[in-house]
Amino acid sequence: MFSIISLLFWLLVIPFCIGLIPVRFLSPDRRNPGLVILAGYFCMWAVFGIVTIPAVLWVQYHNFSVASDCFTVLSILCAAAGLLVWYRNAKAGNPGLLTGRSREKSPMVWAERIEWFIFFGLAGFQLYKAAVYASFDGDDAYYVVASLIAQQADVMYRILPLTGGSTGLDVRHALAVFPMWVAFIAVKSDIHATIVSHVVMPLVLIPLTYLMYYEIGRILFRTETDGADGEEKERAAGTGRKKTGDRKTAGNREKLPVFMILMCMFQIFGNVSIYTNETFFLTRTWQGKAVAGSLVIPAFLWLFLALYDRIGKERRSEAGLWLLLACVNVTAGICSSIAIFIVSILTAVTAFCLMIVERDFKVLVKIGAACIPNLIYMGIYVIMAYSYLLG
Amino acid sequence: MWGIFLESVVIFKNYMGFHENGYLAGIYLFMLLYLWLTEKDRHRRAVFVYAPTLLLLMFFCPLFRKLFVRVLDDAETYYRLLWLLQMSIVSAYGMVRLCGRHLRIGLAVMCVAVIACGNYVYDSEHITKADNAYHLPQDAVDIVDLMEPEEGRITVLVPADLIYYVRQYSTNIELPYGREMLINRWGYYNAMYEAMEQAEVIETKTFVTLTREYPCTYVVLKEDRRIEEPLTDYGFAVYGQVGEFVIYKDMTLADS
Repeated sequence: MFSIISLLFWLLVIPFCIGLIPVRFLSPDRRNPGLVILAGYFCMWAVFGIVTIPAVLWVQYHNFSVASDCFTVLSILCAAAGLLVWYRNAKAGNPGLLTGRSREKSPMVWAERIEWFIFFGLAGFQLYKAAVYASFDGDDAYYVVASLIAQQADVMYRILPLTGGSTGLDVRHALAVFPMWVAFIAVKSDIHATIVSHVVMPLVLIPLTYLMYYEIGRILFRTETDGADGEEKERAAGTGRKKTGDRKTAGNREKLPVFMILMCMFQIFGNVSIYTNETFFLTRTWQGKAVAGSLVIPAFLWLFLALYDRIGKERRSEAGLWLLLACVNVTAGICSSIAIFIVSILTAVTAFCLMIVERDFKVLVKIGAACIPNLIYMGIYVIMAYSYLLG
Repeated sequence: MWGIFLESVVIFKNYMGFHENGYLAGIYLFMLLYLWLTEKDRHRRAVFVYAPTLLLLMFFCPLFRKLFVRVLDDAETYYRLLWLLQMSIVSAYGMVRLCGRHLRIGLAVMCVAVIACGNYVYDSEHITKADNAYHLPQDAVDIVDLMEPEEGRITVLVPADLIYYVRQYSTNIELPYGREMLINRWGYYNAMYEAMEQAEVIETKTFVTLTREYPCTYVVLKEDRRIEEPLTDYGFAVYGQVGEFVIYKDMTLADS
């Protein structure tokens, strides 16, 4: 019972409360409980990375306890700050952080309900398979054992997972502290880290990934009336545009479950080789690199769509999106050190394309500024990897 | 440069599973082309059309590959650049747009296309019904339960079948060598591994000398593993058996 309460606390309550902070700085039209959780996870992972990487690098003994204690305090403080933001927002009478601006929605047609039902069936099937079926992967001998060492020996990256011998810091793995977050959850819930990796993580990460796809779908299949303020809607109604708008609203909204079903199908049948991110997603869900491929990279796409997305007629500046972009960058780093290099490439290429279509050089500067964490990370990586040349 | 380009082509083909008749890449490239022709929103074009096209060009660019491998000192992970294309998201978006007003019939057709061109992940030989909550083979768990000390750590020699699992269950068990020995291309050498796995018949005397160098408190062998002389002649005792695995305890270490 303690384990379940603890898991709910650290995997649901804490991310949810932390997520209230960035969501406060997002447009009300974007807000929904799923986004709060997603934003909370990215902020929480960023905090975890900022706390844990220095502990790995500079704390010799019991470095896991040091990182774990610091992270516990910081995450609880962030969660408390999130609750305070929520309370003050409600007191000021601003649009809700969970529901945004409440709008009248046309009722869901039966076909749409059936489509959502199919989607939840497919997602549930993946969760069932993840919990009941074991997926063998050789890399677990490193990543899962690294988590278990942290749990059982209170050491991060100073013991060789494969054999148990002591080792110096291996730069490629030491900066990617995602297994240490798994260990943190294992310690807090008092569950063996291997069970947390193989059973608990998929039950958390698969729904999170689909939440990410849902957010992408919400932007891609935005309904016409989304984001239009009340006055605009009334004007539309007065000129007889409302009826057309409603039809388009329903039409676009119906595309979202179709998109989600197709995403499920691609994940389930995307195993065309052992290398695809779809294969990683369902066969090594708990490994940082799988999280990078299936959750973090789509988060970049979502952010790039959202940052330059026009809601209504005007594009609004949303500080929360920039904060999230920085946090997602740090998250990429904790997932895998290769990931931070490749998401930097993605960011550079996409920012370049957005700059061209926006005809605005500032796009590059702004997105570049959100990548400062990547530069720091890569700087540490390069210094560690090539420090022998200095010695 | 041409050779590097061809290497990238091979990586691309392996990633896409062309050699196993996986043609999801065909769907992706078709949808990318479709979005090139029809997507009007310039921001979506930037994210879903221009950026993936540039990334694909970079992937095949020999100079870029040379730089990537030089900086990361790793050629094996080059395929992960293709993760940036997020083929499923782009394909699903293109499909929904292509379906237009005929969403339902379009969904059915697209699902059939994905099934036909893809490969069902749960058909993988690596996915099996879990024996326990750890998702580890029950034999590995039982063997470690038998050997694990109440305090401290011990070194144990296990067959290749168990190497991946033992330390996922308990880090109190150390191994003379790990998974690194099982991957030929990594090119490691370990005398204990050679004696244990590479020899057709285990040469007992050398084998025992090596196990005592670590020293291995327990040695686990498959019951059908061929060995010149029984380990029991060299101070080992049969400690137990789990499935096909026989566990020997080095009694000379127990005495000391």
